[in-house]
Amino acid sequence: MDRRHFLTSTAGLLAAPALLRNAHASEGPFRVKYFPVPEASRSRDVTACSDGVTMWFNCQGNGKLGRLDPRDGSYKLTDLGPGSAPHGVIVGPDKAAWVTDGGQNAIVRVDNDHKVTVFKLPIKDYTNLNTAAFDKSGIYWFTGQSGYHGRLDPKSGDITVFKSPGGAGSYGMTVTPQGDVWYASLAGSHIAKVDLKTGNAKVVEPATPNQGARRVWSDSKGHIWVSEWNSGNVSVHDPASGSWRTWRLPGQRPRTYSVYVDDKDKVWLTDFGANAIVRFDPVTEKFTAFPSDKPNANVRQMDGRPGQAWGGESGTNRLVMVETLQPPA
Amino acid sequence: MIGRTVALLLLGLLPHSAAAQDGAALFAPCRACHSLDPAAKVMPGPNLAGLIGRKVAGDPAFDYSPVLRQAREEGRIWTREALEAFLADPEAMFPAMWMSAQGIRDAAERKALARFIADPASR
Repeated sequence: MDRRHFLTSTAGLLAAPALLRNAHASEGPFRVKYFPVPEASRSRDVTACSDGVTMWFNCQGNGKLGRLDPRDGSYKLTDLGPGSAPHGVIVGPDKAAWVTDGGQNAIVRVDNDHKVTVFKLPIKDYTNLNTAAFDKSGIYWFTGQSGYHGRLDPKSGDITVFKSPGGAGSYGMTVTPQGDVWYASLAGSHIAKVDLKTGNAKVVEPATPNQGARRVWSDSKGHIWVSEWNSGNVSVHDPASGSWRTWRLPGQRPRTYSVYVDDKDKVWLTDFGANAIVRFDPVTEKFTAFPSDKPNANVRQMDGRPGQAWGGESGTNRLVMVETLQPPA
Repeated sequence: MIGRTVALLLLGLLPHSAAAQDGAALFAPCRACHSLDPAAKVMPGPNLAGLIGRKVAGDPAFDYSPVLRQAREEGRIWTREALEAFLADPEAMFPAMWMSAQGIRDAAERKALARFIADPASR
């Protein structure tokens, strides 16, 4: 065993059956399962590992990338470097995990053997790295909340950083099936499409003013779904027609933090006001809420694999999975 | 003599000026969510104008996380010292707050940033 922590989470194994529960939902059926990762500090962004089984997750509070095996609740933590504070993680075409590390002002690659490679940004400014997406040619695009976006060529290691229009705020990022790259600006209250040749970003204003567009995710048609932090809305933009549609999340004071669109084009949101994961069906326009069984869950991002929507409860140091079960025949 | 006086005056001004520059630079990432302009529009985080002396969770236009609402109900007040402690480790002071930010390890940087936020004359 190497010096990295390899943790067979006995606590997780014992706790998991007690935390397993069925959600009361109008669609589904669904099953919610929690995975304690107590050695992680502020577990947050997640993504499915290329092995088809395990899940990567960032530990923003203690500078590590975690890897959970949902079959037994065990997990392994990998040190990302001094001062690390990882925010986003995605899997690249090379099957490795790629991390936007605000603490190191660097992009960090971690392969499936947990080998770490650090790509420092070529600027001194603190970009506050946030989220990333790979385009169809394999270029890694990223955002920095201090008002930057940029590109990294994994083959050469070359990095170019651009100042985002409107200044600070560049946050969530997504790539469409057509290969277009979009990001959201939280402080700027807009979304923007990146010109992949020049790096310039073209701003698109959502329908609701000052809405606080925080994260974006493309559906299978290339429509851009937006989680609106200030307004508590979810909205969708059709780049072809230029149209917008907007829905307010249920409850008195929704705060829509994140958005993820699954392989069935169902929309998964997190609502800090309701302390819940919320599923939105664009066909029926119905919301289904999955409140956490603990207060202050603070799920800041979601991702998944077919039939499973995952998030990191940054306030409880757990991962959460909402599984869409096959209805009885 | 005059030259020496000017030099001493400049020397006296340097710490303030350097601190102001540090404070402005340190506040730059905060601008993604916060404003120090009392007339600013609603942002992702609360307005920080007039922070010192007001209640925790004291921006009436902002909807705070439960842990901060609880602190407000307990009557907690922002002081310069409390702000510096907060900047050292926000999560330690208010666990599971909605803001996600790393603490500042360097005490001088914390002091410079706290001064920049607290004192409009320092900006």
